[in-house]
Amino acid sequence: MSENWVLKEDEAVELLALLITSARIQLDEPAHYGPLRLLTATERLSGMIRERSSDKSRAFLQENIERVPEMRMAMSDVESYTAALDERCRAVAACLLRHSAQAEGES
Amino acid sequence: MSEAVLNNIKTRRVVREMTDEPVQREQIEAILEAARWAPSGGNLRPNRYIVLEDAETRRLIRLVSPGMFQRAPVLILVCTNWQVAAEHHLPATDRALLIDIGTAGQTMMLAAHALGLASGPVTSFSKEAVKIILNLPETYSPEMFICIGHRAETAGAGMRAWKKISWRDLTHWERFK
Ligand SMILES: Cc1cc2nc3c(=O)[nH]c(=O)nc-3n(C[C@H](O)[C@H](O)[C@H](O)COP(=O)(O)O)c2cc1C
Repeated sequence: MSENWVLKEDEAVELLALLITSARIQLDEPAHYGPLRLLTATERLSGMIRERSSDKSRAFLQENIERVPEMRMAMSDVESYTAALDERCRAVAACLLRHSAQAEGES
Repeated sequence: MSEAVLNNIKTRRVVREMTDEPVQREQIEAILEAARWAPSGGNLRPNRYIVLEDAETRRLIRLVSPGMFQRAPVLILVCTNWQVAAEHHLPATDRALLIDIGTAGQTMMLAAHALGLASGPVTSFSKEAVKIILNLPETYSPEMFICIGHRAETAGAGMRAWKKISWRDLTHWERFK
């Protein structure tokens, strides 16, 4: 595990604002906008923490999350949209494993 | 016939990435004047326009507007003034109120495009949060932002179409048999 502080209080509140307002507007919007909002939050969080995060996450953030805006607008191509999200899921799992390996090394 | 007008309509696209280059005051005023000439149900003019140029206000608005991807130097918020509706005994469900927002929004975006500016509409925002941030009068409801600015070179092509459509796909001639 990394004990790094990567998020400032202002940034955390900004992210909360995005999440809460997304939850509300989703009630009035098509279901497929849900993933779009979560991806927007992912992208904002990534932008906030990228500079301060360790090598273990930075590569993941740079290679996977920086390209999220391109895919955001491609929801109508369900197959490649799903494939792109699956690719991110595999990448985040690998990132989790890197962090977990560090924890094991420390204990 | 003015080919230029038709071209303006066909070439306007929503821009979701803008530079921070400011928009001139006269250009903003020209866009607002165009909105004044948009058709309005019963010619009642229930729309009110709030122009936001202050950087901090725009930042706060974006934080409660998940559908606002662009950082636009100017936001024009189209509000419905419910006092006008009440004075004319217009029920809250009258569709003209919504249609008025649409005619004004499109007119402003076409005006912006004609001036060489980029634009994009945003309705995906929290109305309650926007009311608080702008300290809106009770009788105003925030309905749609029109973001105005200059297109960034890095701006993408926009939301991909669900399927290719032509006007023919959207049109039916005469009675249904
Ligand atoms: C009522 C309405 C609400 C919209 N809300 C948003 C929004 O919140 N965020 C956004 O990025 N685009 C929004 N749009 C823009 C549409 O996504 C866009 O018009 C559509 O994808 C077609 O793109 P084009 O106008 O460039 O041809 C909205 C459009 C309309 C008409």
